[in-house]
Amino acid sequence: MECAFAITGKDFVLIASDMSAGRSIIQMKSNENKITPVGPNLAMACGGEPGDTSRFADYVDRNLRLYHIRNNFPLPPPSAASWVRRILAESIRSRSPYAVNVLLGGFDTTTSKPHLYWLDYLGTKADIPYAAQGVGMYVTLSTMDKWWYENIERREALDVLNKCVDEVKKRVTIKFDFNCVLIDKDGVHSLDLKSQDPIAELEAKVAAMKPSDPEPIIPSSDAPAIAAA
Amino acid sequence: MNAIIQNLSTPSHLPTTEEDELKGYGNLDEMGRIKGMQIPRVPDPTAFLNLYTDSMSSNPEAKIKLAHGTTTLAFRFKGGIIVAVDSRATAGSYIASGTVKKVIEINPYLLGTMAGGAADCQYWETYLGMRCRLYELRNKERISVAAASKILSNIVYGYKGRGLSMGTMICGWDKTGPALFYVDSEGQRLKGDLFSVGSGSTFAYGVLDQGYSYDLSDEEAQELGRRSIIAAGHRDAFSGNTCNLYHVRENGWEFIGNYDVSQQWYEYEAKKKAAREAASSEMAVEV
Amino acid sequence: MEYNGGSVVAMIGKDCVAIASDLRLGQQSVGVAMNFDKVFPVNDKLYYGLPGLATDVYTLREQLRFRVNMYRMKEEREITPKTFTHLVSSTLYEKRFGPYFIEPVVAGLPSPTELDPHPKPFISTMDTIGCITTPKDFAVAGTASNKLFGVAEGLWEPDLEPEDLFETISQTLLNAVDRDALSGWGAIVHVITHDKVITRQLRARMD
Repeated sequence: MECAFAITGKDFVLIASDMSAGRSIIQMKSNENKITPVGPNLAMACGGEPGDTSRFADYVDRNLRLYHIRNNFPLPPPSAASWVRRILAESIRSRSPYAVNVLLGGFDTTTSKPHLYWLDYLGTKADIPYAAQGVGMYVTLSTMDKWWYENIERREALDVLNKCVDEVKKRVTIKFDFNCVLIDKDGVHSLDLKSQDPIAELEAKVAAMKPSDPEPIIPSSDAPAIAAA
Repeated sequence: MNAIIQNLSTPSHLPTTEEDELKGYGNLDEMGRIKGMQIPRVPDPTAFLNLYTDSMSSNPEAKIKLAHGTTTLAFRFKGGIIVAVDSRATAGSYIASGTVKKVIEINPYLLGTMAGGAADCQYWETYLGMRCRLYELRNKERISVAAASKILSNIVYGYKGRGLSMGTMICGWDKTGPALFYVDSEGQRLKGDLFSVGSGSTFAYGVLDQGYSYDLSDEEAQELGRRSIIAAGHRDAFSGNTCNLYHVRENGWEFIGNYDVSQQWYEYEAKKKAAREAASSEMAVEV
Repeated sequence: MEYNGGSVVAMIGKDCVAIASDLRLGQQSVGVAMNFDKVFPVNDKLYYGLPGLATDVYTLREQLRFRVNMYRMKEEREITPKTFTHLVSSTLYEKRFGPYFIEPVVAGLPSPTELDPHPKPFISTMDTIGCITTPKDFAVAGTASNKLFGVAEGLWEPDLEPEDLFETISQTLLNAVDRDALSGWGAIVHVITHDKVITRQLRARMD
């Protein structure tokens, strides 16, 4: 049982995922980060079979980084999505398939456009402006249908996201805690959903970092932005 | 009183002689009680029925596909109760009907909603209407919503495990004010302020929860009920076609209207777009 | 097939063919995307539709694109609808013991050749492992195929002009998917004529 959802806006993508991990009815951890940055402007939320998820995220991360190093340019989101889909599609007809459902969000720096892909363990790919996986599909899709609009601004998108989190907490019997990332032209940033104004905090952080400390071209393996909340 | 107690206990046996059959009317005896449902004469009737009928998706391969797949909702607010339902009936992936009445008008001040087996809901809620009328004649006052829903709950609990499939909301206005009960074929009966039942209920909740407040005006509440059904009709394959909207007030229920889900959806999208354009042109003016 | 839903229909007209699909991508009862086109071009005289399991729609499409491009390079000419049908068929049969869950529909206008100066419009359809049928009127596939058969049987007539064929195929698709829970959520129609392809999105029911 997992739950993730994502929203694209004017120049960014928001991805939120639950952080629970455990076996059968026992929750062993409530702060496990399930959103992996897989490029300078690309992140992936993985849900599904425990074990498969983290291994799959690692596999994707390392291969996309290899591409980045070889070509000195990261794979843009649409191509990355096609590649991830292919891995999943080949895996489903193999002897030990990855049972992983993915939300892949990224910002294409060449076209300055946000992208969001919904992928399931069969290798189904949907290119949509907002999406949900797991139990989130049942309770938050209609919330996003109602409140999302094209070219939505950051704060409004975060409001929609908070509505979704609220809805999951209200209607899903399992207790979830959520973490969230925002992907834009500057990279993958983690957002603290509990804070008063996460967008202002993020803007301050980016402004403070920019002049002295440019973004690393290749993301380090434990990107500091994604330290588990 | 004895008659009622007898009726509340497990259903009596099958009519054995033709004479029994002649008394009463159809499935009812001369006192208007249910004589007992006929059950397949096999060692395990439940297993037998499960093999051939698809009640609540227990066996999707079943040959006899009962109509189900629904979105229904009802909520209590200061102006009474809003009841909104879709109108689609599906048998497998086939849309058998798009004009089903899923609100059952039990009497002028009681409404029941229909989710699960269409026939089960229709039959037992109609029967409930009869029982409520009898109560009224015997006691010279209207039955409370709590009591009415308890009658239904007792009946279906008597058939528990026999494959009845219904998830219904009994809504009405009695001495205590607006009242709303959820009753299902498992025998569960819940009093509450806001319920949604059916395959599309999760989508309805997604809109309903985020817009609900007890202090909504009549117009706002009706719009919220309608919007939630449209949302569910849009996302859920087994819900849609049209939305029927009812409003229960002190003097009984009122049918507000029938709305085409698809047409409404296009309207909502157009409104969203118009609001967006208005906002962006405002911004342009400010600049 | 029933996992993602979706339907495709193709029809023959007078010197034209039409192929149309719905745009729904679902995960069982939940609609996920309303932009999932199942009809793809091979060239401007030949289109094909792949209703069925969505992952195989992508996989088969990629595979076919590769093979058609190889054919183009080796033969230095465009593939004919008939040859393409056999290419699809053998691609499907390759997976005889673990099939792609797809029922393809092919629609094309063969170009005139010296041997056949007036070729007839061509449609064909296959089952999941590549058994070909080449109807002379219309071909249907997908979750709404039963309903499509019914409506098409009632509406189709021989020698329809492109605009009439567009109307016929549109009405067929819209009315059929309105009776299918797993198809719909928008529709797209392509009418292929000798000088152009007319592509239109239809305003379909969104529930």
